[in-house]
Amino acid sequence: MHGLALALWIAYVLLDTGGQLAFKAAAVDDRAGDGLARWRYMLGRAWIWIGIGCYVAVFMVWIAFLSLVPLSEGVLLAAINIVAIMVAGRFLFHERLTPLRVTGILLVAAGVAIVGAGS
Amino acid sequence: MKRFYLIGFTLLLAFDTLNLLCFKAAGAHALPLEMSTAWLLRVFSHPWVYGAIAGYIGAFVTWMSLLKHAPIGPAFAASHLEVVTAMALSWWVFSEPVTLTQIAGAGVIVAGIVCLALAEGSAKPAGTDSSANGCLPNT
Repeated sequence: MHGLALALWIAYVLLDTGGQLAFKAAAVDDRAGDGLARWRYMLGRAWIWIGIGCYVAVFMVWIAFLSLVPLSEGVLLAAINIVAIMVAGRFLFHERLTPLRVTGILLVAAGVAIVGAGS
Repeated sequence: MKRFYLIGFTLLLAFDTLNLLCFKAAGAHALPLEMSTAWLLRVFSHPWVYGAIAGYIGAFVTWMSLLKHAPIGPAFAASHLEVVTAMALSWWVFSEPVTLTQIAGAGVIVAGIVCLALAEGSAKPAGTDSSANGCLPNT
């Protein structure tokens, strides 16, 4: 892989993982309450906007990345995000990784990579 | 909690699929593709593009509601069921070719999601699992 493609891919993994973690941080704030009040609270805090910002950036990075790499390879690498988010959830949100959960997550990541490779 | 996940992920899948189908239809109705205001006007003069936007908003609201309780690692993986429905619809509605390798990959994704569903079914409510500050709904 070309240097620029590698840089874009690293940016893609970091932004996608960062965005999901920001959404999680916004969603688990207990002070937010429920229903519409919860949305008003979340929209008034930085986390959800950081997540949305990451998503807009991911969109641009993904388009740039796919212009350099064939789609099948791109999707293959996207499967790594699933594993990255699993690991980040474990460390930042203390999510338990039971053997069944890890098996499920790795199967989904492998399946996404296979679908990508077969296209 | 099982019902919360079942309804949540079904809604998420429905919104994602609505988004995808509407995007595809919006593009098809605005042909020929060109970088012009005429093309943009064609895109926005058909109802399809608004369906796509509604799909985005619905999926976002559903995802943020799911994340209130769902652990991000398994939930993010489970959201990839969309890959399977997208493949099925592209074959069924748009008659696009699907390869055997892709069907095998879809099978592996479904197997993974079955594991994740079983993991939730057998998980005991645990204090540190669903949120950073240890508050857990155990319904």
